Amino acid sequence: MNQPAEGAGTADCADVILRLFEYVDNETAPVDRERIHAHLEECGRCLAEYERDLLIKALVRRACAGQRAPEALRAQILTRITTTVTVVERGAEPS
Amino acid sequence: MLITAVTPGERTGASALVQTHGLGWSTMDTDQPTIEELEAQAMAEADANVDVATETPEERAARFEREAMPLLDQMYSAALRTTRNPTDAEDLVQETYAKAFAAFHQYRPGTNLKAWMYRILTNSFINSYRKKQRQPLESDAGEVEDYQLARAASHSSQGLRSAEAEALDHLPDSDVTRALASIGEDFRMAVYLADVEGFSYKEIAEIMDTPIGTVMSRLHRGRKQLRELLTDYALERGVISSREEARR
Repeated sequence: MNQPAEGAGTADCADVILRLFEYVDNETAPVDRERIHAHLEECGRCLAEYERDLLIKALVRRACAGQRAPEALRAQILTRITTTVTVVERGAEPS
Repeated sequence: MLITAVTPGERTGASALVQTHGLGWSTMDTDQPTIEELEAQAMAEADANVDVATETPEERAARFEREAMPLLDQMYSAALRTTRNPTDAEDLVQETYAKAFAAFHQYRPGTNLKAWMYRILTNSFINSYRKKQRQPLESDAGEVEDYQLARAASHSSQGLRSAEAEALDHLPDSDVTRALASIGEDFRMAVYLADVEGFSYKEIAEIMDTPIGTVMSRLHRGRKQLRELLTDYALERGVISSREEARR
């Protein structure tokens, strides 16, 4: 269903907006995917909405990426691995 | 022209991890692999096919170190966002690695170790820190209401999008992490797992031990709250004018 760009408030727009987050996550079923894709080609407002969702997803990734664990933490964990091998051998489970 | 966020091939989930073992240097046809790369490749393949039953504790510890330690930065980043402070984040990561190491014989070699580790981290957080932090739980009720709102609001705001998008893009990372820290923890974790780690809904459902429908609801609502907060921050910083805001 290709709505003209000015066809605001149509059921198609509402439906697309509702499912945009799935589309952004690439989780939309192929049939719906094509329908949404076609709608975005036609509807500027939904396209803008889509682009904003994409942007926020990218912002979150950008803001959270590249955090390095403290070296002391790395060392502590490594020490624990090498010193608890015998405990694991007895089949000890974490409580 | 539409550009999608993530193509299926780029997904960092289970399939990508398994592929890493299988592809390795053969995809890099511009340079000859170094001896170290070849050895690492052979080791990763061996780790993916190891017989857990006949493995000695020392071998298992070495395999854990090879496979799990490279995930440390990612686990710490996630713990930092989840707990919202470095001290609790370190404790949570310590606990996660201790539990993962102790239960490593239960991990099926060649499957998605990162998702497995995330599940332990998430469980540990829920059991130990959620109580301690005393943050009010966000319920998943209100889902229907949200969907109705989305329907009603689908086209109520016009002409502001590109200016707003521009403004959002200029927000500092600290604003984004502040907004993330402000939304409910279930929402925050779902958004983090989807946006930062690129897990599929199915994987997030397994990590958070919840139905896929709940994952979708958390993502939908979490992002909506995030968007509202970020828009507020943009307003505070004056990167969106109040004239534009008035038109919302």
